[in-house]
Order: sequence, then structure tokens, then C-alpha cells
Amino acid sequence: MRSTGGATQRSPHSLGRRSVLAGIGAGAAAVLAGCARGDSTAVQPGTTSLANDNATWDQGYVAAGRELKKLTGYALRPLSNPNPTSYRQVTQISLQTTKATDMIKWASGYFLKSLARTGELSDLSSIWDAYERKGWVTSPARDAMSYRGSVYGIPLYESYYVLFYNKAVFRKHGLRAPGTWEELLHNAEVLKKAGVVPFVATQTGNWPAYEWFQELVSKVDPAFYTKLISGKASYTDEQAKQALQIWQDFMRKGWMTAADFDQNNGPAALKSGRVGMFLHGSWQSQGIAATGMKPGVDFDAFVMPPVDSSTPRSVITESGVLAVPRKAVSHEAAMANAANWLNPKVQKVWTDFLQDSSANPLSRPGNPVIAGLKDRALREHWTLLPRYGESGPPNLIQGNTDDLGSFMTGASSPDATLRSMAGRATKEWAAWERDES
Amino acid sequence: MSSSVDQRRPSLPGPHTPPGTDPAGSEPVRRFPRRVRDKVAGAGFLAPAVLLVGALLLVPFATTVYRSFFDDRRVSGFAGFDNYTLFLNDPVLTRSIQNTLMWVVGTVVLPLVLGLAIAVLTDGARWSRAARMVVVLPYALSGSAVAVVWNFILNTDGAANQALKAFGLDSFARGWLLEWPGNTLVMILANTWQSAGVAVILFLVGLQTIPRETIEAASLDGAAGWRQFWYVVLPQLRTVSVIVVGTSLVNGLKSFDLIWVLTQGGPGRQSETLAVSMYQETFLALHPGAGAAVAVVLTAIVLIASWLYLRRQLTPKGD
Repeated sequence: MRSTGGATQRSPHSLGRRSVLAGIGAGAAAVLAGCARGDSTAVQPGTTSLANDNATWDQGYVAAGRELKKLTGYALRPLSNPNPTSYRQVTQISLQTTKATDMIKWASGYFLKSLARTGELSDLSSIWDAYERKGWVTSPARDAMSYRGSVYGIPLYESYYVLFYNKAVFRKHGLRAPGTWEELLHNAEVLKKAGVVPFVATQTGNWPAYEWFQELVSKVDPAFYTKLISGKASYTDEQAKQALQIWQDFMRKGWMTAADFDQNNGPAALKSGRVGMFLHGSWQSQGIAATGMKPGVDFDAFVMPPVDSSTPRSVITESGVLAVPRKAVSHEAAMANAANWLNPKVQKVWTDFLQDSSANPLSRPGNPVIAGLKDRALREHWTLLPRYGESGPPNLIQGNTDDLGSFMTGASSPDATLRSMAGRATKEWAAWERDES
Repeated sequence: MSSSVDQRRPSLPGPHTPPGTDPAGSEPVRRFPRRVRDKVAGAGFLAPAVLLVGALLLVPFATTVYRSFFDDRRVSGFAGFDNYTLFLNDPVLTRSIQNTLMWVVGTVVLPLVLGLAIAVLTDGARWSRAARMVVVLPYALSGSAVAVVWNFILNTDGAANQALKAFGLDSFARGWLLEWPGNTLVMILANTWQSAGVAVILFLVGLQTIPRETIEAASLDGAAGWRQFWYVVLPQLRTVSVIVVGTSLVNGLKSFDLIWVLTQGGPGRQSETLAVSMYQETFLALHPGAGAAVAVVLTAIVLIASWLYLRRQLTPKGD
């Protein structure tokens, strides 16, 4: 306290305070300037930045980027934001600035359409047409990538919804991958009797609640599923009721995991034989392999057979999307990379990393499980159906997924659930159409 | 302290006697009397805080109020009170209000009763330090960390059900986080586990400020045990209780992190509180107008509840 005594001593003290304040001010200004400059998206020669929401894929992007560089002269520089909700918000905002990333990872279907209608994405139609001429994309995939006739996204990968199973567990109980609905039920019964929970089903994390819905509705009637997701059929129709009754029956028989099962524990539960079959996207193959199980040797996968054997076979697919913001910092480079992403050389490296399937039908996945399924789907002309999560206005999907979560805990009956979903569908489709006009 | 102040006094430049300064320099001083100068200086010191609060709190609040009067179509238009009528006809928001009320009652009553009980029972005991540490420790953890730990316990495959089954109480095992209102109740308990610690500390401080004489006088008058606590100790803990209830009230109204990590407001949006609904509507359902309306209502409730309560309880004398 003495230092505050005399005038001579006070002056260095106040100088100290001033310099501290000045220092803080300068620091804050530097930080703000740093933020404003947006260093991370600035031009870096020979690369294109790629914003995405999954940091565990960074290595894959870098490896695929090396292949791209040979073709276009530009590598990929992944910028990850590991929280999907925050990623969505940040990306939507940054697209309006002059510092937009060169490429973004996005969801297909209505998520892409919502973003495309803001006018902030580049039209990739000519790139798509070139791909189609080379046979590197299939034309049915176009719809989920386009808005008002123009293409705004290039498929990042193409996953199938499959049921993974532990081969040793199946062998032990004398089971094989079911070819018919009856065989699937038989497998479930045998596993249940042996103390294994037959199916993974959960609403933890919200979105997994629609996995069984899309699967069962499409296996009851794939044509009805197509109509339902385009707003041309009602959730209260007979096929949807049948699907939810099957689901409820499975739950009552104790064939499904508790509704708060953590899917992250799915691979470990499959390995230890606590669960029999794990319904999930084929990208999960990477996670199961990470437990030390070898694809094709220790675990395998099958696509759920249709409920009625006369119903055509179908598989639910999911594609992430690469899009190019209109204000991309290195726009030309980003367009070049988008035009070469589906090149089989790039896809080989990428799918080997991902252990999943490419959207390019000519690119064969390195993972034997997925390669086998893809071959069969192409050979037998299975109907490829888009995933429920991207197949409607985002608000509709969000609300209906909540309803399904409620159904999974027994809080609402099949009829009440479907009525609520139907009511929301009417409202949200009308809102979407109104916004379109 | 006093010596330093004494030393300072002569050196402080007085308003009328600046020795050695030129007359021109003293001109502005005459025009601005000391009171005005003090006010200007005061305003100068306040300015950074006022600017920060204004820019980071008041402006966003005003924008939120403004946004709540517009609808959530792609081209947003004026909607009057439409977003506010959702509170009457959206079952999710009705449930959210019910849950918020449960949270408020739970987070006020439980920490108050438990905090007081633990403080009184451990005050003065030999092992009180250790006991206090154990109770206070969870308060040092973040809400999300607490939620992760409780998730291990409350999950259907979690510790609670495993323990019940181990004791043969299979019929009591259930999906703790899956059924309403049970999920809200267990989350309130989890929250109490964390927040009771701070109530204990506050009550302990309160207990230590009670003059020994009052206790001795009560003992001499023959009051002991429960009567002594009820008529002598408790009335003297009033100020502390006011603070405990006040903070618990606000914490209860804004509870978010624990719920978000444990259930994300689900299943089927059944365990949401207003704070969670605000987030859900704005960022997940992409209804920023509805989300803004929830935010405004929640802010109004917190402000009114705190104001009514503190106005009644805290007199200017502070007793």
C-alpha cells in the first residue's frame, strides 16, 4: 500500500496500469483482427479447404486430396468442426461472407435443397452431366442432389443401411444371414432364447429413432415409402400402420435393445455377443473393424429382406454431399476438385479409408462385406431408396423423429404416433410449398 | 492503511489550489465544478462496463424480443403474438412449462432442506471437514461432467438397474430416463446431488455468524435441541436462506446442461424445460421466431420471480 504514498511513486504505478490496459486493448484488437481476417479459409496455393463435421475423417480427405492434386493440382485441406449442430450454423452463416470455405460437406436431399435455395451454392449441373456420361454416377441419385432441376452437390460416399452380425455368434447358434422375412424372425427367436438381444434399436442421439421406421416401412412396401417421403401418401395409411405394428411386436418380444442404448457401444456389444444384429449405415463397418473384428471374416452384413417375399428388394442409402459455396475463396480450384472427386483413382483411396461404398458404381469398395452387398444390389436391380432423414423438409423430419422416439419408449401408441406424424406432414409440406412459391 | 491515506492527502491536487500550475490550466476547472467532474469521471469508469453489458446483453435481448414478433417462414413477416400463442396450443411447450415448474420446486426445496440439514448436522462435528468436502466436491464439477456420470447410473443397462437386479429387485428396474415424469424427477435428483454443496457452504457460513450469546441465552432459558434450532437458530439464518432460495430459483429456471447431456429433452421432447425448448426450437427445429418467444417468456419469468422474491425478502437494512 505504501507505493500509493507519494506523487513520485504514483506516476510509475499509473503508468503500469495504463500499459496493462493498453496491452489488453492491443491484445483484444489483435484477436479481433485475427478473427475478422478468417485465416483458416484464406487462399493457400495448391489446396482447397473443405469444411466438415467429422474430424475422424481428416486423414481420409488428406489421402484423397493427394490423388486429387495429381489430377487438378489442388489437394484437400480439411477444416473440421466436430459438433454437427454448431457446424450447420457456422456453415450457413459463413456462406454469406466473402471468406467462405472452398468446399463444404453437407447432407443430401432437403438439407441440400434448403441451402441451395438461399442462392449461396454453385450450380454443379455441368459437372454432374460429365459424370453421368462417364458412368461415374447413376441417374436416380440426381434428385437428392438437386434443387429446381440444377445439381448443387456431388455425392461424398454412398452408404447402405444393413444389419451387421457377428459370424461367430451366428455359427454358434446355427444361424445364417436371412434371405427371407421368416428366416429373420427365426434368427431373432433363436438369439433371444440364447440370451442375446437380437436387434440394436435406440433413440439416443435423437436421429437413430427413424432407422427402424425407414427400414420397416420400405420392407413392407418400397413404392409406398417413396410416396410417403415425397408427401404423396399418408402416415396413417395401412402400410405405415403395419410397419409400426411389426416394430411394436419386436419391442414387446424383447427383441430390441433399450431405447437409451448408446450406439457407440454397438460394435463392442456385437463383438461380445450381447447383441445379435446391428442395423446401421454401412459406414459403421469402420467402427466394427476398430474393435479388432475383420470384415468378411469375423463380421458380415445383410440387407433386411422384404416382409412379403413377392415385394421387390430395396435398400436404404445415404449420401453425404460435397458442395461448392458461391463465394468460395478459391472457387475455380474447388470446382476442379468437385469435377474429379468421383474419379475412380480418388474414390479408391477414399473408400479404402472409409471402409464404405463409393457413389461411383465403377469403383469397387475395398471392404469385402460392402463390396459383396453392392455387387448384389447392382446385379439384382434392388431399388435404392433415400434415407428418411434427408427426405423431407428438415422441420418435418425433426418433429417426426421426436414422435418416433416417443413411440420407442412406449409413451405413444402406433396409431397416435402416426396421426401426429401425419398432422405434422400436412403442415410442414404446406409450409415448404408456400416458401417455394 | 491509514498512514498511506494520511500521506496521500497533501499530495492530492485540490480543485482550487493547484500549486505551480499556470492560470490558463485552471480555467476549465472553474467552469466545471467538482460535482460535475466527479460525475464525468464516474461515467468514464462505468462506461466500459455499461458498453459491454449493453452490447453483449441488452442489444441481443432487444433483438430477441423483436425477432419473436416475426414468423419462421423463409421470408419472415410480422406475426404479432403468433409465436406466443404456441404456449397455449403446442403440447410440447405446455409439457416444457410443467417440467420447468417441477425443476423450480425441486431445485428450490431440495437444496434448501438438504443443505440446511447437512450444514446443521456437520457444523462443529469432528469429522465435519471431511463430510463437507464430500458434499461440496460435486459442485466443482461441470454440469456436463455430472450428467455423463449420472448417465452411467441411470441408463437402462446402467449401474442403478444392475444394482437393483443384483439385489433381486428386478421389478424396480426401469428405463429411468425414458418415462415421463420419472425422467424429470431423477434429473432433478442428479442436479440436487451437484448443487446441494453450495447451499451447505452458505448455511455453514450463516451458522458461524450466529452470535454464541443467543445460543447460550436460549440454553439458560431451557431451550434445547429442536426448539432451540427452530426458535433461535433458524430465524438468524434468514438472510442466508434468502440467498440460497434466490440462486436455486434462477438455477432451476435456467437448467439446461444436465438435461441436454442426459436426454436431449427426449424421448419425444417429453423432458424439456423452457431453456431446452428455446434451444430446440431455434437451432434444431429451425424456428428462430418461436425460439425467441420462448427466450423472452423465460427471461420474463426469471426476472419477475427474482424481483418479487428479493423485493419481499431483502429489505434495505439487509435483514
